Amino acid sequence: MDIMKILKDSYHIMAKDLLSLRRNRMSLAALIIMPIAFLVMFGFIFPSGSTQTHMPVGVVDLDQGQGSSEFISQLGKMNANNSYMNLQNFTSTDAAKTEINRGKLYGTFIIPPGFSYNLTHGQSANVIVYVDNSNPQIASQIETVATNTVTGLNGMQAEYNVVNMSQTTGQNVNAQAIVFPYTSNIVTTIPGQNNYFNFLAPGLMIMIVMMTVMTGIPEAISKEKEIGTFDGMLSAPINQISIILGKTAALCVRGFGQCILILLLAVIFFGVTIQGSILLAFLMLLLGIFSFVGIGIVAVSMSEDQASGTMIVNLLMFPMMFLAGIFYPIQQMPWFMQDISQIIPLTYAADAMRKIMLLNAGVGDVITQILILIAFGVVTMAIAVPLFRKSMTR
Amino acid sequence: MTPNAIEINNLTKEFGDFTAVDNISLQVKEGEIFGFLGPNGAGKSTTIRMLCTLAKPTSGTAKISGYDLVKDASNVRENIGLVAEKMIMYDTLTAAENLRFFGKLYRIPKEKLERRIDDLLEMVDMQEWKNTQINKFSTGMKQRINVIRALLPEPKIIFMDEPTLGLDPQTTFSIREIIRDINKKGVTVILTTHAMTEAEALSDRVAIIDHGKIVALDTPENLKNMITDSETIIFSVKITNLSHELIEKIQLLDTVTALSQQDDHTLKISANGKDALNYIIDTIRHESGNIFSITNSNESTLEDVFLTLTGKEIRDHASEKAAPVPHGHGAKAQTRGR
Repeated sequence: MDIMKILKDSYHIMAKDLLSLRRNRMSLAALIIMPIAFLVMFGFIFPSGSTQTHMPVGVVDLDQGQGSSEFISQLGKMNANNSYMNLQNFTSTDAAKTEINRGKLYGTFIIPPGFSYNLTHGQSANVIVYVDNSNPQIASQIETVATNTVTGLNGMQAEYNVVNMSQTTGQNVNAQAIVFPYTSNIVTTIPGQNNYFNFLAPGLMIMIVMMTVMTGIPEAISKEKEIGTFDGMLSAPINQISIILGKTAALCVRGFGQCILILLLAVIFFGVTIQGSILLAFLMLLLGIFSFVGIGIVAVSMSEDQASGTMIVNLLMFPMMFLAGIFYPIQQMPWFMQDISQIIPLTYAADAMRKIMLLNAGVGDVITQILILIAFGVVTMAIAVPLFRKSMTR
Repeated sequence: MTPNAIEINNLTKEFGDFTAVDNISLQVKEGEIFGFLGPNGAGKSTTIRMLCTLAKPTSGTAKISGYDLVKDASNVRENIGLVAEKMIMYDTLTAAENLRFFGKLYRIPKEKLERRIDDLLEMVDMQEWKNTQINKFSTGMKQRINVIRALLPEPKIIFMDEPTLGLDPQTTFSIREIIRDINKKGVTVILTTHAMTEAEALSDRVAIIDHGKIVALDTPENLKNMITDSETIIFSVKITNLSHELIEKIQLLDTVTALSQQDDHTLKISANGKDALNYIIDTIRHESGNIFSITNSNESTLEDVFLTLTGKEIRDHASEKAAPVPHGHGAKAQTRGR
């Protein structure tokens, strides 16, 4: 059968499916809400990389000396710059600990007696940082912030000391170079601040498309099989490929609509910056769809009704969602999970999407991913199409 | 001699170890209305599905308009229209959108398609509903659209699987009118039904199908003669104190070939033999049955033919469509009616 006829029939089927979708207000609403919900949910649930600010932290000054009050005022000044902490004063350790147990404080600085004495007598003065580690996420953040603050205060004090010493000996020195002989300057691939949404958005786009297409296939195909309209198409002189193409195309249009929505939300509300070519990104989306649509069709062909088709698809989809490195980098997973992620097409699609959108990668940079996705698609389609044809004339 | 629209040779369809259609062979002439009559699960729908290329035959062949069912499937599809048991249309689309969608799949040119849609809507008297969504339609209106959808590509052969199932009398009447109309224009109609009256009213020839096998094939007239010529008598007997024991006693009689219960008091009995009627009456009286009336079926119907041939009654109730058909049946099977 000639290709033009197949394409035309596919187009008619796609147009029909989209018209049906337009008439179904609930589906339409769900279609729009889903990407928004995903972006907001995953954007906020998962550790976003940037440190939390305004964490309630106590300060207990048991020393009450000059050294301790200077330390506390320096701590206050330093914190005023970045507002990582909300510092609150407590008169006793027990009072601060009670607040921690109540969940009102994440931790507390405790300045033990003798702090000022040590400072003025050539000793290191120790500050206790008491951390509530019942919440590991927050505990590590508090630890980092507290340690950085103490290190920063050390540096300031050290520079001050060096300046004093150099003045007494009549030398002119660069205090900073003595205290900090090494400095680092971090330059990122993506200009601007570290933004978890930058990492999330490209992967989320391809994932939403995958979810739309994968869950849409059982709905689109099994449902028609069940209500009997499939017989109308199958008894018409059309190639069965047209049905697959048309249905997938309709789902692609839906998925692409959602992608544009994600992109807009990510750029407008979450400060995502796009460096690469949007056109290439969308071509990548299309290729991604081609790579996993076969899996969905296999699932549908093997199941009797819509319910079991949807179940199989969900079963396949969940590992894909979480192991494809969409929410957190694959490199952070244990080795066996990394191995599994290697056999998931979404991994390559998400990776390529990220490279294209964030790093302005060209076709040549993601050629490996492109080839792997094409291979996935060809193999799964080669299995899916005969299975689908067979299931149609059972 | 008119050529054959359909030639079926030893067509068989098995689902696992269940044989739905068992080695059937028949020819349908061009311009004929051909009825498949049988109870639910007899294999009518499966036969239609095979002839529409929707199911692959396990063995055997069939030619539709001269094209082989399997080898020339796409040519077969060009020549057929299907009115399946489940309506083929999309609820959220309008009548015109549904018709347009299916019309396009048959490559009907745009202007011609629009003209055809208007003509067909006029034929079923539904022009004013053209741009209304299907989900606002009554079952009868839906079925009219469903039928004209199958007629869109001007098929040479149209398959109709239970086209009047669950419809009200008016719609049933109008659907039958449409069937006669299109047949007059030369379209061959293949019809399945479990309603005797429908098969009788419409069909030029009827194939009685039971358990996947064709048990009789002829004109309705000849089929009816077939049983009146024999020594078979069919009559209804009303017994005021009808009991299960009595039914069983009657059923066990050698002369009784088939029996069905019509209501609380009435039995329909098909019997064979010279003195069958007297013998049965004697038995009933001997069992202290109180006969209220006996009605002889003056003119036999296709239902009687079916009863005689298969030993059981066809059920003419749409609501019982889903009821499974019991396997294995002897000459004497009792089917309890309402």
